[in-house]
Amino acid sequence: MELFLQTLLDGVLIGGTLVVIAAGFSLCFGVMDVIDFAVGEWVMLGAYTAFWFQEFTGGDPMAALPLFFALFFAGGYLLQPLIQRVTAGKRPHPVLMGLLFTFGLATVAKGSALYFWGFNFRSIRTWLSGQNVQIGITVPSLRFAGFLFGVFATLTFMAFLYWTRTGRAIRATAQDRVTAGLLGVDVRRISALVYAVYAGLTGMAGVLIGALFSIHAGMGLRYTTLAFFVVVLAGMGFVPGVIPAALFMGLLQSLTAVYLGSRYVGLALFGVFYLTLVVAPKGLFGRGS
Amino acid sequence: MKRRQWVPMAVGLLVAVGLALGPTEAQQAPVFKVGVVTSLSGEMNFGGNVTKRGYDLWADTVNAAGGIAIGGNRYKVQLVYGDDQSSPATAALAAERLITQEKVDFILGPYASGTTLAVAPITEKYKVPHITGSAESPLIWKQKFKYTFGTIPAVNQIAPASIKTLAKDVKPAPKTVAVIGIDDAFSKFAAQAFKDSAEQAGLKVVKFEIVPEGADYTPTITAVKAANPDILAIGSHEKAAMEMIKAAKELGFAPKAIVQHYGMTTPDFLKGLGKDAEFIFGSSVWTAALKHKGNDPFGTPAKYAEVFQKKYGTPPDYTEAASTAAGLAFEAALKQIGATPPLDQKEKDALVAALEKLNIKTFYGPIKFATEGDFYHDNVGLSSIALQIQGGKIVEVGPGALKVISPKYPMPAWTKR
Repeated sequence: MELFLQTLLDGVLIGGTLVVIAAGFSLCFGVMDVIDFAVGEWVMLGAYTAFWFQEFTGGDPMAALPLFFALFFAGGYLLQPLIQRVTAGKRPHPVLMGLLFTFGLATVAKGSALYFWGFNFRSIRTWLSGQNVQIGITVPSLRFAGFLFGVFATLTFMAFLYWTRTGRAIRATAQDRVTAGLLGVDVRRISALVYAVYAGLTGMAGVLIGALFSIHAGMGLRYTTLAFFVVVLAGMGFVPGVIPAALFMGLLQSLTAVYLGSRYVGLALFGVFYLTLVVAPKGLFGRGS
Repeated sequence: MKRRQWVPMAVGLLVAVGLALGPTEAQQAPVFKVGVVTSLSGEMNFGGNVTKRGYDLWADTVNAAGGIAIGGNRYKVQLVYGDDQSSPATAALAAERLITQEKVDFILGPYASGTTLAVAPITEKYKVPHITGSAESPLIWKQKFKYTFGTIPAVNQIAPASIKTLAKDVKPAPKTVAVIGIDDAFSKFAAQAFKDSAEQAGLKVVKFEIVPEGADYTPTITAVKAANPDILAIGSHEKAAMEMIKAAKELGFAPKAIVQHYGMTTPDFLKGLGKDAEFIFGSSVWTAALKHKGNDPFGTPAKYAEVFQKKYGTPPDYTEAASTAAGLAFEAALKQIGATPPLDQKEKDALVAALEKLNIKTFYGPIKFATEGDFYHDNVGLSSIALQIQGGKIVEVGPGALKVISPKYPMPAWTKR
């Protein structure tokens, strides 16, 4: 029984690390029609930035999360017009162009990271690293904090989407770019804003992931793949579906690893991914686009 | 500027850059062209760079002395790198390119076993001598490749040292062990070696699992914790081991001993885990504290460590030493046959014959390649040592007479340190 409960908790916490990344990724697709292949690289850059922060200031990167958000927000805001340029205008196959362009961004980010930070595996330590709380089962503190942060950030973000004027503009743009533009929404500014928020959230998630695992130039691919899985499960572009979908993915990983064996985790994930695409291409909730 | 003018201009610019970067020096005395296939990017790029340091140190030392002395002349060596991107398919392509386009005389092999297993058939096809300074999978030697050699013993020769020490030299003796291995050509065999040696020593294996690389290891560790073993043995490279140990700490799981291979001998392992690396066991065939004496430029392990530290700013581990030794083996065999660059096919075959007969003493220990049996063409001159991290240092704890300092056992709980 203890093993079962622990396995459930592990699963929920694994899902928690993915929520923020997938939420941003989903919205980015909804608003900009861009499948950002570089999502994992934002995670990687977030982790490396936290590493540098700790290396140079000796401070706890957890305490500086807002700073990382601001930094990546700015980075995303500046980068978005470039993506916009590639995917808009008279170019053929805008979705494919976006995919290719962000794939290129990912490759450049990976190569640059290898160049600037070298091949060593880096680690960051936070005041919660390695701590846990015993309540019959073991709750790893840092993962739990990451989970809370992920859910909190995603909910805040959704509150912003549904309760503010800008949020409404974003949703309108996601529904129909052209009509939203005709009704006076500054689609370009909204797109840049969305990409900036997405980059900021993902960079912050990278700090937590860097503290949980080890930091290296190739770490992003895993999160690109997982974010993609979660978003397909949630329905492409449907942000509220992300939290349950991420938790489902986490539980699937954890239960498979403990009760069937870790070697079947990939099979289980791909199996569900495949079935979703075949049976429910709009996601578990039928709300994707 | 009109659009159509861009194309010729861009082409012209590229050509100019190409010319500027290309070889402009006049051809000097012939050099040995040495192909190196290893992982300079991808999952294994840390290990790939570890082998690179070992190979580079050999080449730089040879060239600083003026080159390899053959028949009164000295011939420098030139390393030509091929990045295998940590993937076996790319490794095979890189080897093929180095052989057919760069026309290298011989090859120094990759970091990982999977990539080495992809390079070996290529060197076999083109009949080019190949020594790996790192790959440890016993699979490589079972296939009896004529052109492939290795300076590092197979993992089932190295890894058991720590288990043997734990089974015989600590009290109260551990009874149970759980083994986790990562699913690649090296790590699986490391795990298998842990399992086999534990069973031989009379320990009970309560869990044996092979897991894919790059997973989140918390559920795996949760399952191990439920089996409550005295020893957790991890067969993996450094990254997966670090992540599993982090997960074990997060889940408050402290077995009486954690055994790992390969990674705990690398400086990154100590740096990445910090105090949590303390008490972890591992094994090696070479440490700077050993008393080997050789006829090579380094001479002793201590001297090699000193030169290495000066050049790279970190202490060497046995993979780097074995990679440098791979260069030394080629150098000794070349001197014996007196061949000068570039090598023709006859000389390459003579080089293989000389390597088979080689029996030299180096700072790394004796190098003597087996010519029959399950370890065909692997170095069989070395014995394995059990190590433990104590006080931030790697110390020799066994087995038996190889002990310098007593092993610390059992490992205290994470909260009591």
